[in-house]
Amino acid sequence: MSIRLKLLLLGLATLVLPWGGCRYAREMESALREGEQNSLLSVAQTIASSLQGRVDLLYRKPAHLEDAGESETADDNTTARPSEPKPTPYDLRPILLAAQPFLDGYVEEWPQSKAAWRYYFARNPAGPTGATGQHKFGILTGVFERMLYVMLDVNDEHLVFDTPGASPLDPNTFGDRIWIGFEDQDGREHQVFIGATGPGSVTARRIETGEYGQLTAVNEPRIVGALQSTPRGYQLELRIPLSMLGERFGVLIDDRGQRGADPVSYGTLRSDDLHTVGRLIVASPELTTYLKQFRQPGLRLSVAAPEGRLLAQVDALSEAAVLGPERGILAQFYRRFVDRPGTRRVIDSAADIYDREHKQIIGTLQVAQTEDRWLILRDRALTHMLNLTLVISAILVVATFIFAAWLAVRLSRLRAASESALTREGLVTTFPETDASDELGDVARGFSTLLHRLNEYTSYLRTLAGKLAHEIRTPLTIVRSSLENMESEGVTSAAGVYLKRARQGSERLNAILIAMGAATRVEEAISNAERMRFDLVPVVQSAADSYRIAFPQRAFATEVPEEAVEIEGAPDLVVQMLDKLVDNAVDFSPEGATIMLRVRLEPQAAVVEVDNPGPPLSAETSGHLFESLWQSRAAAPGVPADSDSRPHFGLGLYIVRLIAEFHRGAATASSLPGDSGARFTIRLAR
Amino acid sequence: MIMKRMVAIVEDEPAIRDNYAAAFAREGYVVRTYANRSQAMTAFASRLPDLAVIDISLEEEPEGGFELCRQLRALSPELPIIFLTARDSELDAVSGLRLGADDFLTKDLSLAHLIARVNALFRRVDALRRPTEAAQIVRRGPLTLDAERMQVEWEGQVVLLSLTEFWIVYALAHHPGHVKNRQQLMDAANVVLDDNTITSHVKRIRRKFQSIDPKFDAVQTVYGMGYRWVD
Repeated sequence: MSIRLKLLLLGLATLVLPWGGCRYAREMESALREGEQNSLLSVAQTIASSLQGRVDLLYRKPAHLEDAGESETADDNTTARPSEPKPTPYDLRPILLAAQPFLDGYVEEWPQSKAAWRYYFARNPAGPTGATGQHKFGILTGVFERMLYVMLDVNDEHLVFDTPGASPLDPNTFGDRIWIGFEDQDGREHQVFIGATGPGSVTARRIETGEYGQLTAVNEPRIVGALQSTPRGYQLELRIPLSMLGERFGVLIDDRGQRGADPVSYGTLRSDDLHTVGRLIVASPELTTYLKQFRQPGLRLSVAAPEGRLLAQVDALSEAAVLGPERGILAQFYRRFVDRPGTRRVIDSAADIYDREHKQIIGTLQVAQTEDRWLILRDRALTHMLNLTLVISAILVVATFIFAAWLAVRLSRLRAASESALTREGLVTTFPETDASDELGDVARGFSTLLHRLNEYTSYLRTLAGKLAHEIRTPLTIVRSSLENMESEGVTSAAGVYLKRARQGSERLNAILIAMGAATRVEEAISNAERMRFDLVPVVQSAADSYRIAFPQRAFATEVPEEAVEIEGAPDLVVQMLDKLVDNAVDFSPEGATIMLRVRLEPQAAVVEVDNPGPPLSAETSGHLFESLWQSRAAAPGVPADSDSRPHFGLGLYIVRLIAEFHRGAATASSLPGDSGARFTIRLAR
Repeated sequence: MIMKRMVAIVEDEPAIRDNYAAAFAREGYVVRTYANRSQAMTAFASRLPDLAVIDISLEEEPEGGFELCRQLRALSPELPIIFLTARDSELDAVSGLRLGADDFLTKDLSLAHLIARVNALFRRVDALRRPTEAAQIVRRGPLTLDAERMQVEWEGQVVLLSLTEFWIVYALAHHPGHVKNRQQLMDAANVVLDDNTITSHVKRIRRKFQSIDPKFDAVQTVYGMGYRWVD
């Protein structure tokens, strides 16, 4: 993992900042929500207490009872007080409709609420119309604004319509009829009937007794509705203004098997005198009006009966400023991270409404509020904070990356410098970054110092051979001149033997000294050499001729191109280089081996190759071969390592390299294919 | 009997100095030895030797020999001077010869060779003082080699060669067309030199001839073998 990557990761760690911001925003949101909840609760409690004891508002106390007040003297003995209505099976509790149903006889636009339906059966299902008929109807009532809506779903095997055009009062023309009975606001009972002559709109009629006792059917235009037949029977949808209605309300079905037949009557009206049994428990329209004064955008106020039925509702939830597209892309983006999945967008609160004595719960006030109102606030804060932290993070990441890149550049410069410090010519002592005042500068300075010392040491080593040769030469001269003098003075034959040995030893020492100074002298020769253009081919060929004489135990083959291979350089040096290569090749090849001298042309270089059979080069060796004083004397099989008395200092190939470099070339060594020997390749610039 | 020749040896190493002195004395030379430049100059001021053998580094002065050579040459332009030094660098040899030394020898040289060189140098000095004799003269085209006087002429002009150079030219020109390898040249010159030094000697010889005749190319290199003289 590079430092650049590490530092980049470190920079990415600053993304914790926005994450922390999100966490903070959530905390803030919870706190805000809690506060909002509290205030909502107090709103609910305030409104609820303002509604305390207002049974009239909640349950539409009929006008004729209002005056009576607490001393209830209703003609009905089922209950003493409207606030404590004794429930009967005939009571209808209309649901609160969210929208106005279209009066078409279909139930589709009504809330799909099974529980709100009430069902009634005929007391004697085995009526005269037949045992098979199951007399049953369902009723669903609902309130929208000041209207009561009634949905009837009647099971009827034979839907019988009135005879069209006939008098509605002629019993022979009677089909299936629906009776609606209700008390008006003054407590008087009224009945209307609906006798349809076909599917579609229906008319409600009431029967009035005329001045002379004659009965007339009068249209009741305030009640409208529609009838549709169904596979089971028919459905009837009615609308009745609440203002017509008092406390009691009921429905009676006259189911006739055929026109004019005796009906099976059942429902919530007494079938004999059509007296209304059940009550209509519905909130006063004024409750809605009352609630409307608390109306606020983003707020929904509703009052529910203790059993949970909604009595009135003022809904302005959707009117709140919508946090939609106008919130901005960033804010929406942030919300993704902040909003917990499944978070409700509405908070609500509820408070109970008590009766006047504060003993009994007569209803519940529910308040709901969209979060959007204060989410705008939160969003703004969140957006600002996240923007800030993201920008900071981005700056930090970029800064870290730039810093890392810069650091990496410096480091790679250092590395490159340290790699190239050990050159063949010696050490590069100018080192980058040494002016830097930081730790890298320290490292660079440390390196620089180290390299300086190494340089001194290396140059000392490099000159050591020459110095040593020079220093040893003087004592050697003393020895040799003394021996020579001794010889001239004349010695006994016994001493002469030792003298001869001493002479031989000193000669060998002298040869060693010359070899030790060889590299230095080659360097000098190179620095004094003059470049000229010459053809490499005859030089190599004549050199090969001389090697055939010098090394009779080896064969020498040459392989040269037809054309002249002109290079610029010093032929003397090239020959010297060949000498060293051939020396080396002879040392490592078995007796009788053929050493190949090859000249070939490359686009940029003239290549001289010397191949010798023998041991291959190890990978480890080949990198060092051309270094000064490197020596790997694993002699060829059959060639004793000390077969010749020539001293070796590992300078031969070093000299080859020096000469190759003088010709702007390079020396490389490799094993022959199949590890059958070694090949030394010298490229000389053309 | 001729007056014995006086050889001055300036050498800071006492053992070498005494060994050389003994060798020269055995040859019948009068030997004077000096350890440093001031000693030598004091003595030379009163009497010049017939030949001086000088080491380059003298006690405190690493290049004292060069300075001594310069001063000596100022005293006598004809006095034969031989550098004998442990240094074997090309640069030193060039500097020494440029200062007017007649030869530049390394201490690898055996005493016998040294004596031979000194004798040869004396012979040249003597020969130069005598009228010319034709006996020892070799002629190869424009080249005239006087072995007696150890003098070389090219197209009638004297080529000033050091003793080593003379012997190399002599060995090459004596058998024109024959390749002389480096060892043969060394033997001819009575010196022990490595290949590079022979190469640089040959190079210097060519340059000296070319300063007289820019078209000179009589000394040819036979790569890997040696050199030959071409008429």
